[in-house]
Amino acid sequence: MSRVHGPWFALPVGLFLAAFFAAPIVIVAWYSLMPPRTFELSGALTTANYRAAFGEGYERPLMWSALGAALTTLVCALLAWPTATILHRSAGRWAGVVTALIALPIFISESVRLFGMSLFLMPGGGILAGTLNALFEVRVGSILNSRLGALVGLVYIHFPFMLFPLLLGVAMVPADRIEAARDLGAGRLAVFREVELPLAAPGLSIGCLLTFVLALGANAEAAILGGRAVTVITAAIEQRFNYAQDWPMGAALTVLVIAVTAAVVFPVLARVPLDRIIRR
Amino acid sequence: MSRSGPLPFLRAAWIVAILACLYLPIVSVVLASLANSRYMRFPHRVWTLDAYREAVGFFQTWDLHLISLQIAAGVVALSVALGTLGAMAYARYDWRGRGLFRRLLVLPVFFPQPVLGLALLLSFTAAGVVPSWKTVVIAHAVWIVPIVTLVISIRLFGYDVAQEEAAFDLGATRLQVFREVTLPALWPGIFSGALFAFLLSWSNLPLSIYTSGPDTPLPVWLFSRVATNYAPLVPAIAVIGTIVSALVVLGLVGLRGALARLR
Repeated sequence: MSRVHGPWFALPVGLFLAAFFAAPIVIVAWYSLMPPRTFELSGALTTANYRAAFGEGYERPLMWSALGAALTTLVCALLAWPTATILHRSAGRWAGVVTALIALPIFISESVRLFGMSLFLMPGGGILAGTLNALFEVRVGSILNSRLGALVGLVYIHFPFMLFPLLLGVAMVPADRIEAARDLGAGRLAVFREVELPLAAPGLSIGCLLTFVLALGANAEAAILGGRAVTVITAAIEQRFNYAQDWPMGAALTVLVIAVTAAVVFPVLARVPLDRIIRR
Repeated sequence: MSRSGPLPFLRAAWIVAILACLYLPIVSVVLASLANSRYMRFPHRVWTLDAYREAVGFFQTWDLHLISLQIAAGVVALSVALGTLGAMAYARYDWRGRGLFRRLLVLPVFFPQPVLGLALLLSFTAAGVVPSWKTVVIAHAVWIVPIVTLVISIRLFGYDVAQEEAAFDLGATRLQVFREVTLPALWPGIFSGALFAFLLSWSNLPLSIYTSGPDTPLPVWLFSRVATNYAPLVPAIAVIGTIVSALVVLGLVGLRGALARLR
């Protein structure tokens, strides 16, 4: 009986995502093959937009976005690993409160949080600079409107997306396995490399994947905290769509981002037992 | 636990530092809203609630809230309806295409949101659909429906199908089984799914920014005012928006508790 019901229950979600997730990707891919600066979907197919993307220097924003996403992933992983192990090992009452406190900001709009970050970092009269000046008469510079500022914003926004999958991953490491390795004479590094890292790998992979993919398309961090220091790929696509009114070119850039995403997502998801993590 | 690890003090200090970093920007917004000058010069010479008085009397504040609320309500309805059905296919029934369904379902979550927003904008425009709050509902749902489906599925993994069979054996009709057995088991998952949907929609910027057209939701307005035309009014509205979302969540939780007591 249940074999017959399954597909029917899957159908509404399936149709919805086919219409508003799969179809838009196909439409964008089709647009990317249309002659430059046209708005029709019936033109002759051409690869001119892709050639122009690399001829007109759009590989730079793409590279900045990829580099920013990679650095964000790395920094988030380095910050989240100790946090996750501490929270896991001291699974007392306060660990639950701390976990909830870390989750809470996800539900506050990123425009509010990035705005707060810029108020905090603002040179001269910002919260940090103003306080230091008033209390200690120290004048400090600011990382606002620089590449570093954009990176700090990216790490700030994406940290929870790394932490929560990693918490599930760290929970998959049995404590007695670590004890056993220690008893057998393994040092801290050996325990980390031979026991903790491989057993927590599914959670770490999902955290890295989520962080990388979300940071790859991120735009607001660079806009609010990076100033004009860096143009990310999403800003470049938006510029092509809106101001240049060149849909096929914007579509070609979008396809390039989707290609990078797919190249990262499919191999990782194929290897990681997502169901096992979700079931926990 | 193990005594060979770093000192407990160091661990506590690390956690406190992480929490401080996460909350400093949020505290900064609150601090900035308590000024009355158009230029941010902290510490303020005058500490005042003027900006809140102005925000409450400003018609656009409530316009923005109404649009965000409208969008979130649409997203909650759509994603709970689709997510409940989807969760049955994800976790309750065992069918031939389930492995593929599970793999495809999570793809929108692992997709850059602004890119999805831009792809939807292009598709809507090509199809002659004018962007409005309704297109934002669709855009949010593409990302939120899979999440709600997973949230409800987690509940269903612990669900014992034998209960349904027992009810059938005792002579219950299909509708009775659904109302008396399946729905109560699903309900906690549906409720958390609805909360997730509301909060994720209310706070979303990257999808709204490209698909909202003339109907500006709160986060998009804040984003546009951060860059230009700063005044303490902006952080004040940011604080009000966050409080309103917290009140809605508290209201829903309270309503659920009251309903449970009535039963």
